[in-house]
Amino acid sequence: MKYNNPLPPKWLDNIAARICAPHLREELIGDLNERFALRSERFGRQKALRFYLREVTSLLRPSIMKRKPSQYASTPFFNVEMIRNYFKIGTRVLRKNKGYSSIHLTGLAIGLWACMMVATVVIDSLSYDRQWTRGNDIYRIVSVDKKADGLEERMSSSNAALAPELQKLYGEVESWSEFSTTERHFKLNEKDTDGMKTEVLRMDTAAWKMLNTQVLAGSPKRFTPGTNNIIVSKSFAEKFYPGQDLVGKIIYDMPAYSAKPNTYLVTGLIKDLPYNSHLRADVIWVRQNKPETFSPEGFATFSQNYIMLRRGTDVKNFTSKVNKWHQNLSKSYASKTVVFQPMKDIYLHSDFALNQHVRGDAQTIYIFSGVAALLLFIACVNFVNLSTARAFARLKEAGVRRILSGSRGQLVLQFLTETLILFGASVVVATFFYYFTLQSVENFLGHRLVQTFITNPEMAFYASLMIILTAIFTGIYPAWLISGFKPANTLRGTITATFGQNSLRKSLVVVQFSISIVVLLATIVVWKQLNLMKNKDLGYDKRHLLSIDFISWDGKASAFKNALLENPAVVSASITHWLPGQGGGFMTREIPDPAGGKGRVKVWYIAGDLDLPKTMGLKLADGRLFSSQLSSDAINADSLQKADFMKFEEAAMLQPSILTRSAAKKLGIKHLNERIKEANTVPIGIIKDFHNESLYEPVKPTLIVAHRSPEYGGMLIRVVPGTEKQVTNTLHQLWKQFFPSKLLEIGNIEDTLNKQYEAENRMHQLFLFFSGLTMFLSALGIFGLVVQAAEQRAKEVGIRKVLGASVAGIIALLSKDFLRLVTIAILLASPLAWFSLSKWLEHYPYRTNIDWWIFAVTGLGALTITLLTISFQAVRAALADPVKALRNE
Amino acid sequence: MRRSDLGEFEELVLLAVAAMAPKAYSVLIAEELEKETGYPVSTGAVHAALQRLEQKGYLSSYLGEATQERGGRRKRLFTITTFGGKTLNEVRMLRNNLWDRIEPDTLAKIGLHFS
Repeated sequence: MKYNNPLPPKWLDNIAARICAPHLREELIGDLNERFALRSERFGRQKALRFYLREVTSLLRPSIMKRKPSQYASTPFFNVEMIRNYFKIGTRVLRKNKGYSSIHLTGLAIGLWACMMVATVVIDSLSYDRQWTRGNDIYRIVSVDKKADGLEERMSSSNAALAPELQKLYGEVESWSEFSTTERHFKLNEKDTDGMKTEVLRMDTAAWKMLNTQVLAGSPKRFTPGTNNIIVSKSFAEKFYPGQDLVGKIIYDMPAYSAKPNTYLVTGLIKDLPYNSHLRADVIWVRQNKPETFSPEGFATFSQNYIMLRRGTDVKNFTSKVNKWHQNLSKSYASKTVVFQPMKDIYLHSDFALNQHVRGDAQTIYIFSGVAALLLFIACVNFVNLSTARAFARLKEAGVRRILSGSRGQLVLQFLTETLILFGASVVVATFFYYFTLQSVENFLGHRLVQTFITNPEMAFYASLMIILTAIFTGIYPAWLISGFKPANTLRGTITATFGQNSLRKSLVVVQFSISIVVLLATIVVWKQLNLMKNKDLGYDKRHLLSIDFISWDGKASAFKNALLENPAVVSASITHWLPGQGGGFMTREIPDPAGGKGRVKVWYIAGDLDLPKTMGLKLADGRLFSSQLSSDAINADSLQKADFMKFEEAAMLQPSILTRSAAKKLGIKHLNERIKEANTVPIGIIKDFHNESLYEPVKPTLIVAHRSPEYGGMLIRVVPGTEKQVTNTLHQLWKQFFPSKLLEIGNIEDTLNKQYEAENRMHQLFLFFSGLTMFLSALGIFGLVVQAAEQRAKEVGIRKVLGASVAGIIALLSKDFLRLVTIAILLASPLAWFSLSKWLEHYPYRTNIDWWIFAVTGLGALTITLLTISFQAVRAALADPVKALRNE
Repeated sequence: MRRSDLGEFEELVLLAVAAMAPKAYSVLIAEELEKETGYPVSTGAVHAALQRLEQKGYLSSYLGEATQERGGRRKRLFTITTFGGKTLNEVRMLRNNLWDRIEPDTLAKIGLHFS
């Protein structure tokens, strides 16, 4: 019995020991154990245990729990002297290990910089349209049309008469107005041949109640009838007419459609409208609210309309109420609904609103905040990895400190101070870079950033708070780890052997590399997609093609064209109602399926003069192109329309047209030169399919018809390669002769088309940048680890060498572990990337393949980078003189 | 009056120490008190009382030898000081005086009498 002593459970003992003050522990725990033994002898173990539990709880009394004050003078935790000492030691340590510090510094600075930048962009994007006092009550009316195939067509415009009708029917609607932005070229004098390009916000008089503006001069809210009322912003007035008062003056624009410049009366001067609003403009053009009568049938004008609801209206309720009414209006309305889009969502969530110039993309914002967060994560992982790896070199220091009565808290503080110093230095470096790269980021984005960490102190404050938190979070693990070892063990050196096989560090490396591999894969795929869209054969030659934006030709179209054609550099020119990049065509028609099938087919119409197919360089497959010999090929659309609409319709019925292959197939055309009743046309030729629109859209079945001497339209000019500049000059000269006061806007079709893919282009550049950074940071991290491993295994390497290991063998020994980790990362990242990238590509009708070689290249690339990084240090370790490693100590 | 800072439980513990001298320590005392009173007495309570008594100068203590039951831990042995003895005596005298002053009639009335 004596040697088989019943003992209470260990964990209860531990709790008891926790409760007891250290100086009482021995006797008290001894007492408890002794009584437990006595009791279990007397009543059995079960009962003794219950007693024991009671005993332990009865230890909870002040006289037992109270710790004995230390007999040495205790240093307070936050002592000025101590803190100063932390800093001194911290800076010394960092300066002593220059290599480490600079790896840390570079990694952290890059991570922080990228995070700050992306945070700025995100915060700026989120700040759009938050400054209006009634912004929460303003909604844009979005028309939604559910198509038969389950797709939804969203339009940012709505029937112009709908908003006033809603106000009439529902008390919730407080006010309504049209809001749209356009461009005008303003000039001071009627005769000026050049105007200042200006963003104009068109709105109704009722809008004064919706948007809060600050009037500086004039009385803009009083509408002056009989003329165009405009209100100019301060910055516009200063640029347009420096030092002078514009209010009450009449200014002019460069007209595109009318023969004479339009006049605008400046009725007021206001403070600049907020830049971070989707209604960004320099000039407001006010029109009187003139509600048209709403009728569900017949023609309706569509415009961007906004309503303001009374405060506290439940939008969901209101929307369903409105839709119930709306859907019962007419049969054709059954599939149509309206949605009220909150003002503050408009900037980021308007990918359907093609006419909205100022818009961001929520998805891009999400992707990049994600990538930036990952980047910071990688940087922090590097930090943790390197610090823990570094820890073992400092175990002795930690041990000595503890023996010299440093508390664990003080040690943690010491290490945390180092982390904070490093973070502080990185923040300084990052802020420096941030300040100087802000401009180029703005250029890259194409718009100003209103909210930055430099202009907004509140933001800067929160950012520093976040950074300090990140620093503490990052630093606490290594600090806790290092300070936690028993000094006796660290000083004897028994810990180093088991240390370093840390599974946490390994998994961190894997995660880190997985992230960079995913980003790298994304970069390649985005690049491939961009390339595909930029270089795909469109069915016509997009190079060496100039355009003039739409104007009214005032009857001088042919004369202008002939004058232009005198220039030998001009191959051909065409006046057209449609320019590439302006949507699918100048009109669409849904006609009953001529092939006899159910349902309707949608076809697009493109109209120009006879030379349009030739100028565009469309490839004929069957039949013929338009000919100037046959007068029936073109109709005098504009003059006919003006004279008699019926006659125009008649002429249009029999109009010859050229079809694309897909259109011919859709319309079931078997013979040329036979009238297709449903489409009101006689096909005379079939051309190969071409892409009217961006490659976000599938090929549209298109009919090309010819109009003679069009009154309105743009111009396409095919030039001899390399003469674009010369032709542009000629155009300017001719313009001065023909239309001195009209607006001339010359475009290059190739540029216009490429601009459509700006989003992808930007995304590609950003991904390129980020993938470089993540790879670099991961390599930096692994470099640090290899240095550590080589140092740690110096003796092992020495012994191996002495016993005859080859240099290659030792390099393999040192690299093996890391290469394995990277391989795991590749295996993890590839399916993940494949899945998410396939998802991303689904948005595109023409998408690139995710080929196997992408993964091979990325994997090999990652392995090569790792190998290069490792071998730099591994070779050095392998070549080192073993005597040196073995003789130390 | 110094006597007032000697609580009832403390007095019992002090008496127990005196009774068990020189081998008095918390486990023994607690067991003894448990046996005498019939109620469980926790070690913590005894320990706290011992601590207080020592602080007041009624007890002195030293660390004894380790035993197997205690998991190799030493025990703290208590002896009563002269001052402690004096105090106990004073308490006893006070009680005795009061007892003595009770009239036999009264004793009988409340159901108490010395046999």
